[in-house]
Amino acid sequence: MTDESSRTVISAKGLTRTYQLGDSEVIGISQIDLDIAAGELVVLKGNSGSGKSTLLSLLAGLDRPTGGELMVARHDLNHASDIQLTQFRRQVVGMVFQSFNLLPTLNALENVCLPALLAGKSLVETRPKAMELLRWLEIEDRLHHLPAQLSGGEMQRTAIARALINDPAIILADEPTGNLDSRNGQIVMDLLAELNRKWNRTVLIATHSTLADQMASVRMGLKDGMITSFA
Amino acid sequence: MKMLLFFLRLFIWFSLRNMRRHMGRAATVLFGIALGAAVFTSVRLSVNASLDSFSKSMDLIAGQADHVLTRPGGYVPENLMATLLNQEIMQSASPVMSTYTRVSQADAEPFLLIGFDPILDRPMRQWRVDDQSGQQGAAWLDLLKEPYTLILGKPLAHQLKLAPGDSLILEHARQKVRFKISGMLEPNGLALAESGRIAITDIATFQEFTGLFGKVDRIDLKLVSSATSKDLAAVEQLLPEGIQLNPPTATRESGQMMIRAYQLNLSILSFASLFVGMFLVYSLVALNAASRRHELAVLRATGASAYHIFFIFLAEGAFLGIVGWLVAIPLGHILIKYLLHGVSQTISTLFVRVQVDALSLSVYEIVFSFFVTVGISVLAAYQPAREAMQVPPKEALEISQLGMQARISPRQLAFGGLGCILLVVPLSKLPAILGMPLPGYLAIFLLFVGFALLAPWALVKISHILSSILLKRFGIPAYLAGRYVRDSGTRTAVSVGALITAVALFTALVIMIFSFRQTVAYWTYETIKGDLFLTSKMGQINRFRYPVPQPVIDHLQNYRSQVDLLPNRQFFLTYDKFPYVFELMDMQGYMQYASFFWLKGDPDKIRPMLKGGEGVVVSEVFSNRTGLSVGDFFEAQIEESYVKLQILGIVRDYRTQGGAVFYSLPHFNKRYHPVYWGGLRFFFKDRSQDLDAAVARLRTDIIDRLGDRVDMYSGKGLRGAVLRIFDETFAVTTVLLLIALLIAGLGIATTLSVLVLQRSRQLNTLFALGASFRQIRSMIFWEAAFLVVIGELAGVICGFILSYLLIYVVNRQSFGWTFIYAVDWDALLLSIPLIIITALAAALPAVKMVFRRPPATLLRER
Repeated sequence: MTDESSRTVISAKGLTRTYQLGDSEVIGISQIDLDIAAGELVVLKGNSGSGKSTLLSLLAGLDRPTGGELMVARHDLNHASDIQLTQFRRQVVGMVFQSFNLLPTLNALENVCLPALLAGKSLVETRPKAMELLRWLEIEDRLHHLPAQLSGGEMQRTAIARALINDPAIILADEPTGNLDSRNGQIVMDLLAELNRKWNRTVLIATHSTLADQMASVRMGLKDGMITSFA
Repeated sequence: MKMLLFFLRLFIWFSLRNMRRHMGRAATVLFGIALGAAVFTSVRLSVNASLDSFSKSMDLIAGQADHVLTRPGGYVPENLMATLLNQEIMQSASPVMSTYTRVSQADAEPFLLIGFDPILDRPMRQWRVDDQSGQQGAAWLDLLKEPYTLILGKPLAHQLKLAPGDSLILEHARQKVRFKISGMLEPNGLALAESGRIAITDIATFQEFTGLFGKVDRIDLKLVSSATSKDLAAVEQLLPEGIQLNPPTATRESGQMMIRAYQLNLSILSFASLFVGMFLVYSLVALNAASRRHELAVLRATGASAYHIFFIFLAEGAFLGIVGWLVAIPLGHILIKYLLHGVSQTISTLFVRVQVDALSLSVYEIVFSFFVTVGISVLAAYQPAREAMQVPPKEALEISQLGMQARISPRQLAFGGLGCILLVVPLSKLPAILGMPLPGYLAIFLLFVGFALLAPWALVKISHILSSILLKRFGIPAYLAGRYVRDSGTRTAVSVGALITAVALFTALVIMIFSFRQTVAYWTYETIKGDLFLTSKMGQINRFRYPVPQPVIDHLQNYRSQVDLLPNRQFFLTYDKFPYVFELMDMQGYMQYASFFWLKGDPDKIRPMLKGGEGVVVSEVFSNRTGLSVGDFFEAQIEESYVKLQILGIVRDYRTQGGAVFYSLPHFNKRYHPVYWGGLRFFFKDRSQDLDAAVARLRTDIIDRLGDRVDMYSGKGLRGAVLRIFDETFAVTTVLLLIALLIAGLGIATTLSVLVLQRSRQLNTLFALGASFRQIRSMIFWEAAFLVVIGELAGVICGFILSYLLIYVVNRQSFGWTFIYAVDWDALLLSIPLIIITALAAALPAVKMVFRRPPATLLRER
């Protein structure tokens, strides 16, 4: 095993995802070859419908490829069972969504604790870490607020804390600034960059925004489900 | 444990808090399921209370006896005691007599008087005189020493405000006699029979009081433990003809059988409320699963497994069931007050006399009602839970919330529904299982399921057909409502299913009760003919076991010039535990004034044969229960005679205490043995006079000359009483029916509110596109109208099929009778529009809810 291959955290060969829509077949992504090393900050760019979200959902174990091979953190996602995919989502990846996707009936602290509880940890052991994350994200005074009582920036920071609670190796962010003003957008991007730099997490950000451009170690362009640039 | 705690936490966070956010919705469903559970449990507890009271009384009166000597329809000679006591296998034997009697005062309630030998009876029954009652335990000796003394049960003594040493006048068929109270019974053992409304006396006093010298009702036997069947057979050899040796359970079992059939019917009917409640639970859990689809995807994306989701939704169902059951306790408490009285009254009137003062709560019933309520709630949540677990986590990335997609097409569901409905036909032809119409009930269940499955397809088809007409006639709101109902899939179909069930039950029961009433009214009019009926005092309650006194009969001969006197005699017997009455009557006279309600056989051929005593006619119930039909032979031991007669025809008969067999009284006297008269009916020869006035005059004249030694009922009064009892019986049914309709109304209100809430964004978009408040509200109203009208139509069709099943399958298998099918069009035509209006009124909260929040806010929100 070479150094490079041992550092590779995401590896895709001929990765394809198509959807059946009535009688016709719609291409999500097609024949993507990809190798991403651990510790990279990848910015994924492309117009709507270019395949960004499809790629992210495959990398996150939310969906399965219809063709090609996909290895993420040594997990073969092509052949993983539903149970293995669930375990993968719990332990390997953390997701940050454009629309935050906080559960409306849980307060900020509970939302952050949830993935750890789902992974079998107790609330007692999870809570200090969740508090620490929320403190780091400067929203410790909003612990017991429901999502509806938080601002957009606070909701997204809570979502980032939630993504980090299980110490995942990879953070996947789908348009994380799409619903934020520029100031909050910048804060979120800075946080993701900090995660990459200080905490050595592999971060993939799918975005239209230019805020992440300067932070990226890899820039990847997608169009019609295919990679158009990779630098 | 850790897993359980986590699951509990997840359930609280995800489900309970959501229910708290939508408190009104959850409360409505909880109220619905609670009402269903309360009805179901209260009905079962009420019938059980009657059943327990009856069984307990029978057991307490039977005591330790392991065999009983009786003569069907007659009495056992007392001198048999000597023979019996000489048998080696005989541990003890006790002659027993019992009758209902009452204190001679207006409106006095009858109570049970038991006569036995206090010494011989000691090993047989547990009873003890209360030391506190003044006679220090020696009171029972007074029964032997002093004639006309008795010991009262405490509740009876309290009710009559009497104490030891007091006296009271008791009246019976033969006479009125003053009795002295020598003590009161301790409240245990025999004293608990009939809820303590009993009195005991010495058998000699009893015989003198009733005039039955040398006769007893039965002799209870207790055999030594080593007695074999051979020994028993030897004892049987010693018995005179017609005396039967049976286990003491025979009477109890036939009574229990009738109460259980009633209980099963009432339970099924009350289960309908719970069944409709089940739709409510389904509707709420399905809504939660559909409207929170995006949250489910997020939960999956953050690491929840599909089974976490499945069990959360199943737990939602269980939670609704558990809380619903808890809420049902106070509701049931209120309901049971009404039902306990109604049900015991009905059972007393229809089947066997029961005295219910208190409710007996059995652990089994509590556990049963809990598991049925929670079970059906979990069952209702199962399908939504299955759908919820299939939400793919990738939907967390999708912006638009698509809502739950129907996995099965309405067409496929319709095929399934049609299959269920077709299965109804063979099931309805299957015989009862263990005397219960279980295939019939399964057929009814499949009928409901079938129609519920047909509902989505019907909605699609009807909306499709109507959409262009609606657009032209009623404009865009009606058109959009039609389109929405068409495309809404199974969610709206669920509430339509609930409405179909409730309307079908309503329609079927209206038809069944009307058919039943019409048939009974006709039967009453045709067969209970007579201008005046006369029986011995308290003849009816004592099942005509005491003859009309001879001086009365002699006096009545004086009226022969103006009336025809038709004597009769009834014997209450059993045929393989099935109770029936063998009625002897003057067929010649009867057929001159009245007729049977023929069902099978040629009346013109049968009438002369019946008058000539060539055979019997049996009731439909008797035929269905015994399997005997025209041409077969009816065989029975009646007093000392063994009777074997051919069945000439089958007639409708709606007496509720079993079947009936009719034979000519004069021919019985000639062919078998002479019998006394148990009652008479009078027909005025001059039919042109004012019959009411003539009856009143005759009645007054009899009272003037004979005093109140007999009971008399005018024919008109008796027929009215039959129908009044009928109406009272169905009062319980009507209450249950109204509750089912109420729950269905709640279902409509919940579903519509939920549909509105779920589409608030869509509705507000319509508003943004230029629709007016009025148009949108009108659209919601049209949606409600669609659901209600389609639900009603399907419900009425389902109800007609159901009524057929109830009349010709369930009633035949439960009670042995059928009725002439008659539809109460007036009631249906009046009530169905009323149900439509009520159901539409249930849509008003939903209509109000549309613009509860400012449209701009909603449209900005994601």
